[in-house]
Formats: sequence, C-alpha cells, structure tokens
Amino acid sequence: MSSLEQTALFLIIMVPLLGAVLTMFLPKDRPGDAWYFAIGVSVVCLLLSLYIFVSYDYGAGGFQLARSFQWLEAPINIDLSLAVDGISAPLILLNGLVLLGAVLISQTIRTRTRDFFVLLQALGAGVFGVFVVRDLFFLFFFYELAVLPMYLLIGVWGSSTDFGSFLRTKEYSAMKLFLYLIAGSILVWIGILALYVKSATLGTPTFSLEDLGNLAASGSISEEFQTWVFPLFMVGFGVLAGLWPFHTWSPDGHVAAPTGVSMLHAGVLMKLGAYGIIRVGMVLLPEGAENWMPLLITLGTVNVLYGAVSAMSQTDLKYVVGYSSVSHMGYVLMGIATLDPIGVGGAVLQMFSHGIMTALMFLLVGAVYDRAHIRDIYVLNGLFGRMRVNSFFFAIAGLASLGLPGLSGFIAEFMVFTGAFRTYLPLAILAVVGAALTAVYILRLLARTFLGEMDPRWEHLTDASPVEKAVGGVFVVILIGVGVWPEPMMRVINVGVASLPGI
Amino acid sequence: MEWAWLIPVLSFIAAPLIVILGPKLPGKGSFLAILAIAAGFVIFWAVLSGFLGASPDSSHCETSADTGSLVCDYQQEWFHAGLASLDQSVTLTWGTLIDPLTLAMLGLVTFVALMVQVYSLGYMKGDPRLGWYYAVHAMFAGSMLTLVLADNFLLLYMAWELVGICSYLLIGFWHERPAAKEAAKKAFIVTRIGDVGLLVGILLLWSEVGSFSMSEAFNAATTGAMSEGVTTTAALLLLLGAMGKSAQFPFHVWLPDAMEGPTPVSALIHAATMVVAGVYLVARAFPIFQAYDGDALLVVAVVGLVTALMSASIALVSVDLKRILAYSTISHLGLMMLSLGAFGYTAAIFHLLAHGFAKALLFLGAGSVMHSTEAQDIRQMGGLIKVMPITAIVFSVGALSLGGIPLLAGFWSKDEILNAVSQNRNPVFIATAFVVAFMSAFYMARAMFVVFFGQLRQGLDHAHESPWLMTAPMMMLAVLAAGFGLINFNWPGAFPGFGGLIYFHEAEDFHFNLWIGVLSTVLALGAFWLASLCYLRERISPDILRQKAPWLAVVVENKYYFDEVYQWAVDRLVLTVSGFVALFDRAVVNDVGVNGPADTVRRVGFVLRLHVTGHLYSYALAMVLGTVGLAVLWWLRSV
Repeated sequence: MSSLEQTALFLIIMVPLLGAVLTMFLPKDRPGDAWYFAIGVSVVCLLLSLYIFVSYDYGAGGFQLARSFQWLEAPINIDLSLAVDGISAPLILLNGLVLLGAVLISQTIRTRTRDFFVLLQALGAGVFGVFVVRDLFFLFFFYELAVLPMYLLIGVWGSSTDFGSFLRTKEYSAMKLFLYLIAGSILVWIGILALYVKSATLGTPTFSLEDLGNLAASGSISEEFQTWVFPLFMVGFGVLAGLWPFHTWSPDGHVAAPTGVSMLHAGVLMKLGAYGIIRVGMVLLPEGAENWMPLLITLGTVNVLYGAVSAMSQTDLKYVVGYSSVSHMGYVLMGIATLDPIGVGGAVLQMFSHGIMTALMFLLVGAVYDRAHIRDIYVLNGLFGRMRVNSFFFAIAGLASLGLPGLSGFIAEFMVFTGAFRTYLPLAILAVVGAALTAVYILRLLARTFLGEMDPRWEHLTDASPVEKAVGGVFVVILIGVGVWPEPMMRVINVGVASLPGI
Repeated sequence: MEWAWLIPVLSFIAAPLIVILGPKLPGKGSFLAILAIAAGFVIFWAVLSGFLGASPDSSHCETSADTGSLVCDYQQEWFHAGLASLDQSVTLTWGTLIDPLTLAMLGLVTFVALMVQVYSLGYMKGDPRLGWYYAVHAMFAGSMLTLVLADNFLLLYMAWELVGICSYLLIGFWHERPAAKEAAKKAFIVTRIGDVGLLVGILLLWSEVGSFSMSEAFNAATTGAMSEGVTTTAALLLLLGAMGKSAQFPFHVWLPDAMEGPTPVSALIHAATMVVAGVYLVARAFPIFQAYDGDALLVVAVVGLVTALMSASIALVSVDLKRILAYSTISHLGLMMLSLGAFGYTAAIFHLLAHGFAKALLFLGAGSVMHSTEAQDIRQMGGLIKVMPITAIVFSVGALSLGGIPLLAGFWSKDEILNAVSQNRNPVFIATAFVVAFMSAFYMARAMFVVFFGQLRQGLDHAHESPWLMTAPMMMLAVLAAGFGLINFNWPGAFPGFGGLIYFHEAEDFHFNLWIGVLSTVLALGAFWLASLCYLRERISPDILRQKAPWLAVVVENKYYFDEVYQWAVDRLVLTVSGFVALFDRAVVNDVGVNGPADTVRRVGFVLRLHVTGHLYSYALAMVLGTVGLAVLWWLRSV
C-alpha cells in the first residue's frame, strides 16, 4: 500500500479545510493572493479526486482506500472512517472539477475576497467529506459544513434582482435557502439519532454506516421502524435535492448567488441530497425505501414536468437555468426510486452529468451578466454576434440538457427511462414528455438570447475570457466524452449500484 | 463489409476537424467534408460488392427469418447499463447491419451528399460561415449514415436525434433572419413530439424483448412471442416518430418552413435523405408492422394517403418555388408511406430512391435559379431557359421524371406503387392515388413552364448560368433521375432487377399492369398538356377555380389553416399553462407555502413581544389581575 493510497481520502478533506484556515492568515490588502492560493488548493483537490477515481478498482468493487480513525470510544462509538465506492467515486471527481472551475471563475470577486475563498474552500471540504465518510455522525457534520457557508456566500456576495412585480433580495434568498436546508437537516438528524438508538437496543450503539448496513442486511431492523424512519431521510435529504414541493429555495438561491457559488450549488450541492437518499436511506432502510419509492418516483416526475413547464415562461436567464435544475434533479430522484440497476445507475450518471452541465450553464450565464449587467431574455438578443465561444458552449450545454445523443445527458436520461419503464410505465412516459418540453425552453432561450439579429447596444460585449474558455472547454469535452464513451464512468457506477441492497 | 462503420465515422471525424482547424485551412476546411463523404462513397461500392459476393455461409451473415434476405451484422460492445452479471442489465453495442435496404440507403445518402457538398462550393461561395456549414454537413452525413447502418434501435434513435439537430442548425444557418430562426425551432420541436412516440416505442420493445436489438424484436413479433396488442402498439409508436421525421399529416407543418435554410440543405436533408428516414424506419421495422395481419399498416396507408392528397393540393397553388417543391416532397413521402401501407415494400424503397435523385436535382436546380435571379416567387420568373439552359434542361428532366412521364425513373416507381395499392387496398385508395398522381404531374409542369419557358421576364436579363461546380452535380443527378428506372428490369444473367434485391420475404419480379400503366401515362401527359394550356399558351386562365369555388381556393392557399391552429394551441394552451405554473410557483408555493409560515411566525412574535413592555405598572396590573382572577376561580369552585 503506497502512502497516497492510505491517505488520499483523508487528504482530500484536510487539504481544502486547512486551505480555508490558512487563507484567513493571508494579507488582507492583496486579494489576488487569496485567489491564487485557492487555485493551488483546488488543483491539489482535483488531482487527488482524479487519483481516487482512476485508482478505484472496478473489477474488485466494494469499498476501497478504506481508513479509520477512532474519535470517541465506547460507549459512544464515533469513528472517522473513510472509504470510497462506485457511487461516490464519480461524485468526488465531479466536486474536484466543479470546485476548481468555481474558484477560477471567482476571479471577479472584488469585495472581501479573502473571506469569500475561506468559505468556498470550507464548502468544498464539506462536500468531499460527505462523499468519503462511512460514519453517520461525520456525514452529518460535513453535510452541515457544506450547507452553512452557502448562507454567507449568497447573503454577502450575492445579487438582488428587481423583477418589477416583485423584488428578490439576496438576503431573502439566502435566508430562505438556509431555513429550508436547516429544516431538512433537522429531519435527517432525527433519523440518524433514531438509527443510533435502534442500534443501541440491538447491542452496541453505533453511527458506523458499515455496522448499521450489516444490521439492516441481517434483517434485525423491523420493517415498521424502517417505514417510519425512511421518510425523514427522503424529505430531509430531498429538500437539498430540490424535491417538489420543497424546491423553491433552489431557483431563488441560484439566481441570487454569485457565479462561482451557483456553479457549486447547482453542480454539486444538490447532489448531496440525492447521494444521502441512496447512501443512508436506501442502504440502511431497504424495506422502508421499497415502501416509499412509489411516492418518491411520483414526486420526481412532478419535478421533471413542473420544472420544465415553469422554466418555459421565465424571463430571467438564471431562473430558466434554475428551474431546469429542478427539472433535471427530478430525473435523479426518479432513477433512485426505480430501485433498478439501470435506473439507479442512470441517476448516478445524471448526477455527474447534470453537475458538469449546469455548472457550465451558470458559468456562461454569469459571463453574460458580468458584461451586459442584465439577464432578461426579452432584452438580450443575438449575443452570438459578439460572444461566439460563449454562445457555442451554451448551445452545447443546452443540447446536453435536452438529452441530445452524443452528450452525457442522453445516456443518463435514457437509463432512467429504461429503469422506470417496466415498473412505472405511465411515469416513464411522462418523463419522456418532460425531455421534449426541455427542448422547448432550451431552444426558446437559444433563439431569443443567443441567435438572431444583434441589437447595437451589445456591440461592446466581449467574448469569454481565457479563464472562462478554459473552464468551459474542459466541461464541454467532458460532456462529449461521457456521451460518446460512457464505459469508463459506467463500469465504476455499475459496481457501486450493484452492491446496493434491493437491487 | 466489416469496414462499413468507416463510412459514417470518416464524416464524424471531419466535423470537429473543420471547426477547430477550419479557419487556418484553404476553403475553411470544406474539402475535408467532401473528402470524407467521397471516401464514404468509394467504401460503399466496396461494401456493395462484398455483399453481393457474400452468402449465408459467410461469417457474420445469415438469411434473416424476418425479411427473407441476406443480413450481415457486425457488433462492437459500447457500454453496460447495470453490471453485466445482473439479470436486469443491458449491454449497448455499436452495431452495423448490412442488408439490401441499408445498401440502397447508403448509396443514396453518400451519392446525394457528395453531389450537394460539391454544389455547395459554388452556391455558398464567400459565405463567412462556410466552415461551420461544412462541419454541420459532415456531422449530418455521419449521423444519417449511422441511422441507416444501425443494427439496434437505440443507436438508430441516437442517429435520429443527431440528424434532427443538424437539420435544426442548417435551417437556422442564417439565424439573423427571424424566419429562419423560428423555422429551425419549429422543425426541431415538431419532430421532437414524434420522437417521444419513437422513444416510448423503442422502450416498449425493450421491455418485451430485453434488448434493443432489431432482429430480436422482429423475431418476437413474427414468432408470436410478443402479443398482438403490444406489437401493434409498438408499431404505431414507431410510426409516430416516422410521421414527425417524414413530415406526415398532422406533423407536416415544419417542412415547408424548413425551406428557410440554404437551398442545398433543402436538397440533401429536406428532400432526399433525412425526411425519408421515417419511411426507412417503417420499412426497417416492417416485420413489426406486418405481424398479426398488419393492422398497423392500415394506419400507415391512411396517413400516407391523407398526407399525399393534402400536400399535393397545396403545391398546386403555392407561388414560392421552394415551397412547391417542399409540398411535393411531403406528397411523395405520403405516397411512399401509402405504398408501405399497401404491402408495397419494394415499390416504396424504389420510389424513395427515384424521388431522392429527382427531388435533389429539382432543389439544386431551384437553387441555381435563386442564385442567379435572387428571386423565390415563381410569378417573378419566366423564360429562364434562354439565359440558363443547362439548369432549365436538368430541372425539366427532374420535373418530367417526378411527374411520371413514361420511361423516366419516376414513372416506373410510381407505377409500382399504384400497382401495390390496387392489389392490396380497397378502390378508394387507388382512386385517390390516381388523383394525387395527376396533381403531382400538374404542379411539376406548372413550376417548369412558369419558371423556364415562355417569355423571358423583364429584369431577368442579368441572370446567368451557374458555374460548373453547380451544374456538374446537377447533370449527374439528372442522369439518375432519368435512367434510374432501368434497374427495375430483370437483365437475365447480369442483374435480377430491383425486386430481386430488395424485397420482403419473396423476391419480386418486374411486373407491369397494363391498365394502370396506360391510365397513369394518360394522366401524366394530360396534366402536362393542361398545364401548358394554362401557363404556357395561356388558353385557360388558372384563376378559373378561384372564380368557381372561392372558399376552396382560400382554404387551400392558407394551407388548410394548420399553422394557425397550432399557433393558437401554443399561445393559448401551452404558454397559458406554463405561465400559470410559474405564477403558481411564486404566488402559492413560495408566497403562501414558504412566506406564509414565515410571516405567521413573525406576526405571532410581534404580538407576543407586546407583553414585554418594560413598564413596572403594567406588570403590577397583570399581577393584580392574576391574583383577582385566581381568587375568583377559587371562589367559584368552592361555591
């Protein structure tokens, strides 16, 4: 065992965490330093996440790179156990990619730059932590670490928008997001404590996902208990995944957040919710999951259609993308709820694919907003004339979003449809219809904003900056790469999904 | 034959190369696309000769039990959805399937694409986005060729969507023009509605068969492993996709608008290749359509007949040269569907090819005219044969062929269709089909006479013949539009005839039904003669119908108001629902559901905080009131 093999998972949490702490000590009057430092940290994170993804042996499967540190001894029993499997490996890679992209794009942050990057790195550490820990206590700890910085990032660096008929201040959006997510966490925490107490009545109290998983597999947790506790996780984590009708924090939050934060928020943070449903709900409460999945898939379908139909009549560029996230997370929830290897695999791939796609979209929308200082799609027009690369990238992200074959979204969505088709025929058909509706709002957006005759007032706009081109280019290559050759991603995901109970 | 996959892949490689390297290359890299498709055309001949030399004993080849013809299938694993060791998992493959139907399509697509790309060198000369044009063309060629080579439904669906997006990009090539932008969007969304049906159909077949393989699905349909209800439903769902792509009633509205794209694009995508994908799909999935006595085929026949009749009538009154051709395309696609619906498998494919060559030729001819006159309205044209003789002659060849003048390709293929319809469907179908045949001869004659013959219009003196880059491809297509019918015949010893190659279960000999042949000849010649009276010698006023039945003329000239109805449905229904949901989300879910509890908490807090006044006397008052209250309570209880 090489030393990297032993420490990679520990490092991927500690590097951004230490980075956040060290950033506090950087000189206040040189904001550029904080940016360069954060780039360095997130490059290391990306390399670590690449290492973790590539070194994952999909032939062997199971949990790998495992490491455990005892924290509190018996009778409390809390360990910091780390491990990675086929479901978390792609998501760790996703976070590595989006974190670096978000840091790079945040060059434009001019106020309190240092504090911004402290929070951004803490958020990154929290996300990595959720994906690598095997202990419910620390899972919750990192979950909160990922969610809390959001409030400040939006409340301080966000932007308020006046829509004429109503006003959305950044403070309102930040507060709404925060209260929603905290309410979700409370449900999750109750669920975790219920499991802890249950394990105590069955022998030793434990937060360990592995031990609790074994308890569940041995059948010693009654179906009644599972059916009572599962909805706590389904709704608690579901809030973060944008589950209808608890989704309204999400479009407002996306819109108010600065570009880099929107990228992380929609790209990675929403996936934590879906990941939590799989990792905690499905694995520890398989029978409860089975009883509640018909409801989850129905709500997921509502997400798909409701998000798409809402997106159709939005006038703000960012709201369109925000509602599209609500719609696309619906496919993730549907896929999970199929409890079918193809469907759940599709959900995991959709998490990765949507993460990249939506981060790219927010990046590009942010680039437009930075230059034009407006996001109204009835005012913007013909941007292709001045922002060629930007528009071209946006078109590719949009096509991935409407499920064009050859791009990653198609593979994921098609797997979700396939997984849902046999058991939930009407819902699967509705989901296919939802994909067609996506075409309507994406093409409407493209036609209104990017194509057509350009208004002379946009003459001064400049095309994507080198940083935007580089980040966008990498994301575009990933979207095409996964769409054309999904096997490297799928063989890892397949192994992870196959080990879930009930599949 | 195992190298057939190279045909699309070469074009797929050319596309990104042109985008990335194009700006630095001569001609913006257009030659890369042309080289790729030319190489594809050469490989097509190698594959064809390989196939003709193959037998059921060759490796990868067998005689298909579902179609009765030789099929060669080459597969390559692509990815696994679900761990391969699990029952519930599926392995996706890149598979190329080579059979006579695929070969016919390969030949058509590679040849017409090559011709059109060469022609575009002249037509699009000097366009600032030439590189992008050729990149999308290469992308289109790759996707279309994948579509016809696919051996499984998923790959077919992927190629199907990709040709759709290429069509979108090329219709909207001049996106600065609002009409082009709107037309592109309309085309993509209308066909996408059909594609919902196609995808659901494919998933339905998967859920029955457990794989996306075409041959397994066909097997299940023909052996009875798949029930009648499922088979017919699947067939109808596939038909929905085919109707969208092939612009069949009621999805036909996108194709005339698609004429906003550059004319070579109309020739390639919206006449000869992509729009026939629907016909190809029905032919490819014929075992599913034809299973259980072919109930689904009756629907196919009706859809085809209605489409053919409706659009032919619109073509009679349209005054835009490209739109006449577009409605003619829809009408002929309807005839192909009608033929399939009447079990005329061979006839449909034969007409697909003959129409492909002739219609590509007509569009390229129209492009040549527009290139030179910059007009699109036929009322501004006339007598152009005097200034552009080559274009006039080749256009006339195409028009005569498609109009069904004997001995030209269109005559033979239309004859085969009429034959099939007369044998297998009731007399209403054949009678209507004859009406359509007459109309199609008449509108072709009208376009040809008005544009090229008679007096040279004033203001057209500056018109000139197009450069050889444009005329040469037209002449080659003209040869095929005229002489392609020859392969219909059985040449003893050398060639078994078209029906001996492309058939469903039973090889078809060349057959000619005398009364149909004579009647269709009379109708075609009559139509041309009548049109010459109306438009050339002006003995009969074309307005006679307008005077006799004004309401009919108005309805037809307004294209039966389909666009208006759809526009109304989108504005009044879809956008209203969408606006309502968006408002609901803000006003109910957010303002009531989220802000409501928040406001309640705030208001309750506001009220409750009032009791913390900080004034000593109010606390004293509360104490006194409390004491008195308790005393009263105690007194009441003790009484």
